[in-house]
Amino acid sequence: MSNSNTEKKLWLISQAELEAWLDGIADARQLIAPRQISGIELYRPVSKSDEIDWQGLTHGYAPSNRPVLSVKEIFFPPTERLFSIQRSGQEIHLEESFPEWETVVLGVRPCDARGVKLLDALFLDTNPVDLFYARRRANTTLIGLACKELGPTCFCSSVGGAPDNAHDMDIMLYQLEENYLIEAVNDKGRFLIPSGEWNETTIIPHKSNQTVQFPIPKKGKWLEHFNDDYWMKIGERCLSCRACAYVCPTCRCFIVRDEMIKANKFERVRCWDSCSGKNYRQLAGGHRPRAEINERMRNRIFCKFYYYPEQYGLGGASACTGCGRCIEVCHAGVDITEVLQDLEKME
Amino acid sequence: MSENFMLPHLAKIVEARDLAAEIKLFRVELMNGGSDAFRNFQPGQFAFLSAFGLGEAPFGIANDSGRGSALDFAIARLGNVTTGLHELGEGDTVGVRGPLGNWFPMKKFKGKNLIVLGGGIGGAPLRPVIQYVIDHRSDYQHLTILWAARHPSLLVFTDEYEEWRSAPDTELHLTVDNPDDKWNHDVGLITQLLEKISPSSANTITITCGPPIMIHFVTKMLQEKMGFAPKNNYVTLEARMHCGLGKCGRCNLGEKLICVDGPVFNMEEVGGLLETFL
Repeated sequence: MSNSNTEKKLWLISQAELEAWLDGIADARQLIAPRQISGIELYRPVSKSDEIDWQGLTHGYAPSNRPVLSVKEIFFPPTERLFSIQRSGQEIHLEESFPEWETVVLGVRPCDARGVKLLDALFLDTNPVDLFYARRRANTTLIGLACKELGPTCFCSSVGGAPDNAHDMDIMLYQLEENYLIEAVNDKGRFLIPSGEWNETTIIPHKSNQTVQFPIPKKGKWLEHFNDDYWMKIGERCLSCRACAYVCPTCRCFIVRDEMIKANKFERVRCWDSCSGKNYRQLAGGHRPRAEINERMRNRIFCKFYYYPEQYGLGGASACTGCGRCIEVCHAGVDITEVLQDLEKME
Repeated sequence: MSENFMLPHLAKIVEARDLAAEIKLFRVELMNGGSDAFRNFQPGQFAFLSAFGLGEAPFGIANDSGRGSALDFAIARLGNVTTGLHELGEGDTVGVRGPLGNWFPMKKFKGKNLIVLGGGIGGAPLRPVIQYVIDHRSDYQHLTILWAARHPSLLVFTDEYEEWRSAPDTELHLTVDNPDDKWNHDVGLITQLLEKISPSSANTITITCGPPIMIHFVTKMLQEKMGFAPKNNYVTLEARMHCGLGKCGRCNLGEKLICVDGPVFNMEEVGGLLETFL
């Protein structure tokens, strides 16, 4: 943070200045920010800054006031139309439409921004490029907010992140007592900063010294653990409900199907899916590989730390962001950090 | 900007005929430039076929590109999409997305004996291999085809057996689990037939497709009883897929993705992983 070689620009702004700026953004673009929707915190469009859940956004990082779903849904929506199908007699007409919105997301946590980076490896950096994801990614600016503290299930620092890591953001906000420090992280972010309106500052954001470290087995260790009885034991807890994948910033499995809109009119859509699901692998003939719950749980854990990193060239990084949402959401007490610790104990 | 890789090419069904019980052969011709994408598709590649309104599913392309520009698909009526396809006929429009995946390295197999083992509808992606070898017969040594099904009514491409048998230096062996009164070939599993023939592993490549359990036991027998090196046992695998391009995550075999790293593998590549596929 104190590296002065880079042209990092910081401004000191008040809550009122921040809100005025966001109102201006919301006039010209789609602004997405944490909102309370029926008592649930979610990233949703706001037309004015007073619709933002400032209380939830700025008061700690307790499970109750962080968005239940990560920003994944903004780039890779739970359901996405791939094209429309019109049928007339024996003829078929296909029609495409693509997301065009210029979007700004406020209040992105470092773990979620990291999740987007990890999805980039699949949707942008590995051919073929996913057009829908690429459009949304190019048209979206991420305004991050550094976490003041680690939440009870947070472990970003175990997987290469940090509560105040601005690396994967376009703009970063740091909360001070009364005001905010705002930093333009890259050109995309700088584009949104008003010129000459705010007070530049030399105050340096307080570096978070909070850390939690869980052991992440090395690449070669995963295969050694593949046939362990451990998966039978831990897998017994899983209910195959798939909630862990739903809230995960990096789970990206999808299913494709046609939905009827009206007579002779259909849409081909893709929807989120999860390898934890019972019928995920089932073929039309009835054959169902990975039929056992423990095999499916093993696959999900392996995907985070071994398969996905191998498939999409993450190097030594894992595909887990340490956000801890899967731990919060699990009704059966499956805790990914417990698994990591158990694997280390087995060494 | 990139293209929407989920958008299929439109194609016309030019032929739809019964191939076996509940199995139809569809021959489709691509419309509006789709044929460029499919120029020179290779034996072993696959494509998604759309029954619009119901969805799409992946199928091995059942012919060699050397036999014309149309695409053949052998489709068993088993699920939503395949049931929808079975209701279509000549002149109807389907979607085709591909060609996808890797293929059998036919050039690398030059000068070798080939043993092709097909079980049931698993014979479909092997037909282009057989066609390719017949059309380039002098490039290969002996061709042995072991063709199996649960019942005679489920054998695919029966009307082509004469063409296969009459090709030089080619033999065809048939077996079924449950014969009918007219059956005058072998009875039993394909592994029993394989054991009876007991081929030599010398200068020989095997190519297997069928139910996962068949692939498992055939390759096990080839290696344990006939001394094949796993790298000479080629298989083509299937999995439930929804993109075919390494995105949807569904078809992983360990860290491999069947859609882009396969569907063709040799057993050296997937031997240790095949258990997770059963």
